[in-house]
Amino acid sequence: MDMYSQAAWLIPLFPLAAFLVLTALGRSFRRAGILTGTAGSLAAFVLSMIIAVDRLGGRAVDYNYAFDWIRIGDYTLRIGFEVTNLTAMMLVVVTLVSLLVNIYSAGYMKDDERITVFYGYVALFTFSMLGLVLSDNLLSLYIFWELVGVCSFLLVGFWYAKPKARAAAKKAFIVTRIGDAGLLLGILLLFWYMPDHALDFTTIQSVFDGQSGAITTGITTLIALLIFLGAVGKSGQFPLHVWLPDAMEGPTPISALIHAATMVAAGVFLIARTYDIFLDSAAAMETVAYVGGFTAIFAATIALAQNDIKRILAYSTVSQLGYMMMALGLGSLTGGIFHLFTHAFFKALLFLGAGSIIHAVHTQNIQEMGGLGSKMKVTAWTFAIGALALTGIPPLSGFWSKDLILTVAFETNPLLFVAGLAAAFCTALYMSRLFFLVFTGKPGAAADGAHESPATMTAPLVVLAALAVLAGFIETPWNGWFGSWLSGEAEAAHGSGVAIVASIAVGLIGIYVGWLIYGKRSVSRTAARERLPWLVKLLEKSYYVDELYAAVVVRPLKTIGSLLMVVDEYIIGGIVRLTGIVTASAGRTAARLQNGQVQTYSLTAVIGFVVIIVAIVGRRFWP
Amino acid sequence: MSILQDIPILSLILLSPLAGLLVVLLLPKHRSGWMKTAAVTATLVPLALSLWLYADYDKQQGGAAFEEKLNWVDVPLNKELQDISEFVFKFQYTLGVDGLSLPLLLLTTLVTAMAALAAVHVKKRWKSFFVWFLLLETGMLGVFLARDVFLFFVFFEITLIATYFLIGIWGYFNRERAANQFLIYNGIGSAIMLLAFVLLVNTAGFRIDQAGEQTSFIYSGSYTDIFRNMADPTAWVNLSPDQMGAVNPFQMTDTMQWVLFILLLIAFGIKLPVFPFHTWMLKVHTEAPPSVVMIHSGILLKMGAYGLLRFGVLLFPEQARDWAVVLAVLGVINILYGALLAFRQQEFKLVLAYSSISHMGIVLLGLAAFNEIGLQGALFQLVSHGLISALLFLIVGSLFERTGTTELSELGGLARSMPFMSGVLLTAGLASLGLPGLSGFVGEFLAFLGLFESMRWLTALGVLGVILTAVYVLRAVLKITFGTQPERFGALKDARLVEAVPMIVLLAFILLLGCYPSVLTDTVQYSIGGLFEQLLATRAGG
Repeated sequence: MDMYSQAAWLIPLFPLAAFLVLTALGRSFRRAGILTGTAGSLAAFVLSMIIAVDRLGGRAVDYNYAFDWIRIGDYTLRIGFEVTNLTAMMLVVVTLVSLLVNIYSAGYMKDDERITVFYGYVALFTFSMLGLVLSDNLLSLYIFWELVGVCSFLLVGFWYAKPKARAAAKKAFIVTRIGDAGLLLGILLLFWYMPDHALDFTTIQSVFDGQSGAITTGITTLIALLIFLGAVGKSGQFPLHVWLPDAMEGPTPISALIHAATMVAAGVFLIARTYDIFLDSAAAMETVAYVGGFTAIFAATIALAQNDIKRILAYSTVSQLGYMMMALGLGSLTGGIFHLFTHAFFKALLFLGAGSIIHAVHTQNIQEMGGLGSKMKVTAWTFAIGALALTGIPPLSGFWSKDLILTVAFETNPLLFVAGLAAAFCTALYMSRLFFLVFTGKPGAAADGAHESPATMTAPLVVLAALAVLAGFIETPWNGWFGSWLSGEAEAAHGSGVAIVASIAVGLIGIYVGWLIYGKRSVSRTAARERLPWLVKLLEKSYYVDELYAAVVVRPLKTIGSLLMVVDEYIIGGIVRLTGIVTASAGRTAARLQNGQVQTYSLTAVIGFVVIIVAIVGRRFWP
Repeated sequence: MSILQDIPILSLILLSPLAGLLVVLLLPKHRSGWMKTAAVTATLVPLALSLWLYADYDKQQGGAAFEEKLNWVDVPLNKELQDISEFVFKFQYTLGVDGLSLPLLLLTTLVTAMAALAAVHVKKRWKSFFVWFLLLETGMLGVFLARDVFLFFVFFEITLIATYFLIGIWGYFNRERAANQFLIYNGIGSAIMLLAFVLLVNTAGFRIDQAGEQTSFIYSGSYTDIFRNMADPTAWVNLSPDQMGAVNPFQMTDTMQWVLFILLLIAFGIKLPVFPFHTWMLKVHTEAPPSVVMIHSGILLKMGAYGLLRFGVLLFPEQARDWAVVLAVLGVINILYGALLAFRQQEFKLVLAYSSISHMGIVLLGLAAFNEIGLQGALFQLVSHGLISALLFLIVGSLFERTGTTELSELGGLARSMPFMSGVLLTAGLASLGLPGLSGFVGEFLAFLGLFESMRWLTALGVLGVILTAVYVLRAVLKITFGTQPERFGALKDARLVEAVPMIVLLAFILLLGCYPSVLTDTVQYSIGGLFEQLLATRAGG
């Protein structure tokens, strides 16, 4: 029975309808606006759940449907949707987080005069993200891929009056656009190499089965790397990660929805969708693994030195996305997607928790907080659960997924295993730093009068906390249910004692060190700064990547632009003016000949006569 | 059979603005309101008719059913020497549509109607403004409808003269300089075009009609005749003197084909504009009144691309194919040069002017692709850019009315006081940078897709332009709408109804084409497909 899957095309339409209604309503209907937005995502969530539950039974027949978008001669570009187990899972993640964010925002955005615009954007985003998930071919995926990007841009710049928000929105759009250009080229390449120019995932799967040899390895690698470039941009992988921390200028619920749980994971989803191309190219797989592994440790170290609560979480997201990429690159589709699944919940939880804190203390600087644990019990407890899940402490969800990735790394690539462990240690350290600075100790400057957030905000926290605890049990070292459900093949449950022990150990040590420094305070907090000032500075400045880009890309572009301006004005414009002047003066000279004197006329005539004679005579000797 | 085939629908479309022109002429001078109403109505009639025509157009059959033909000018030549009954230059009033011109025809009527609405900002001499305005529309419609090279030329010149006066009288501060530069530059282009047409008519235009006893030698300006002769290997134009008994004055040698192709490339390249012939249009963009710039950047530039396609590529396919790389390189230069310069401009109108150069580069890429996808892309890009740039300049006009400036450094934060207009501006900007779901993406994508088959590296360079486009569009649009509003503007009013209507209409078309491009591509497809089959069948072998 695929009756429910057939109705999947309805899912994105609910938020789309909500968006249209919200746009039509305008700004004055605040309550109605909130209800419309929430209802749209609720309907989408219910239908997604029904489809997912329906598919749990294992009679997973993929369903797809497409309509013609453009016909050109014999080719037809189609837009279509498809339901597989992977998309069903993504549908649930997207709609659930969207629903919770809708509820949460009713409290968080209560006093904003443009709250209906906010709900409209969120609905538009949800629509686009669902379209992306449901797409059955690369072209329609690309279309929605761009649309989620523009929604992200609109929401990052939601408080448009702030210059920082404007800069961040612009940066988010342009940096991801670099990746998108790569993805676009990948699609063009694929179009001309695929038999019948097919771009749908089913055909891609059958062409890149490792045997058909229809496409050479070199081209396969190129296609895979170009697609990966798109994923690098969207999922904030090094070196295109720079937009994600800045994107924290947007409202916090957006950070939870777009920049933690859904859109930034789209890169991982894209690679999973086109995984067969990657499997066909060892070089591409290796690139994905190393970029992911490097990003994981790179971003985790930066998070150690940040003071803005949202930036810490943003770098943490970058780092966790690195884990997912690493898993995919190491050949574990299950590992990557499983971590995407658990991460969506606990990271959304952490962001919404951070939002609750910011809502109470009106600052994002963790140094100014402190002692909030007793004033905000629900936030503190749920945040603790999220932090432990992220750190990878059993039996919370993050442990199972991270452990699976580390196990795979342990078995295949020791170097990346070490990088993963190091990143896990940093994760534990920066999360305990964050937690202890915010919730324990003496109340900070901004903590006066802080109080727990309203129920609309805490209820989503509780739901997400429950999921952060439970979501991991679908795939454990003893039970490979999720992996086999996802891939449709029975996957051997495998675990490695070493990896489990090591990952728990680094997590606990990290927390302990963090507690010594920031909780118990038996180690001076400024010790690192005193001994290694350059290192701290380097981390605080995020390795100066932004500055590097400014020097290597932005400034040269501006210089070239200015140079071309000069060329345009003086050389090209100059030649035009020169032509004009020459023509005009030639005209004046010719006019001066008409001076009424017979002598001038006869002289001219004689000259002309001589010229003609010379021409006629000369013509004979011309070869 | 539909009603439309029984009435001279093309002539009706072509002449309805002229009827409006007469009405405007007869109205009393001080009744500006009446004149505006009459002018807007006069642009709505051809819009309605062309929409009807578009809906009624049979894609497979093409536009043959609508063709209209009348004798126009016969210039008799000396026939005493030959034993023939007639020896003439024959120019006919021939109108026709096909999948190439129909979308552009609709674009013309649509953008002109919207520009007529936007002409509310005109402050003086309404009567002559609307007279020139409606004459301009007739000229543009004629360019896309004409099927005789001299008719085409005449209409092309009409647009030139009308635009000259519209810029020179109703423009901003430096209007006269801008108008003169416009006229000189385009006049040179026209002269070159005329030269090419004369050569064309004297070779490929020649035919012999044999009707019973009567033999007529005819030099014809008919596009159909010229196209058929050029494509027919047994036509005189393609036969060498040896095959004709040592003499064939009508043969077009290889060299001459190249000369003609290059002449046409320059003539229409100036209009398009192709780097380095672009400087004239910068002044037009900054100095002309907004409603004229809407037409200029929305339609007049497209005439260059249309001419290049209709006369350059379709009549000289071998040359075009040999020079595909040149076209592609020029296209890439246009894209990157325009984008980099747009990025450095301080004046919003100049940003948009350079942006037009950049976007016309994509059209060149589509032409250079020399396959169906690429040509589809080029044509789609023409229509799409016409709509988008018209919308952008519509907003510029309304903006200038309120703030008195379009300098980026003086603007900011308008989203607060003008949320509607800022929203439209942002959407238009997103369409311009090629966001899927809006029309800009489809044209770009198809052009790149087409070109990628033969020239990968150039396509990659062009795609680089896509990133730069995002950079300069967002820089300019966000500077205007985001941030905080300078205090001296005080309370700015959002768009009035008469301004909002054209914005919404243009936006609706941009959305429609972006979401469901088949509306346009299906119409274009059969014509392009048919032309391509003809080209490939008859000439590819050589």
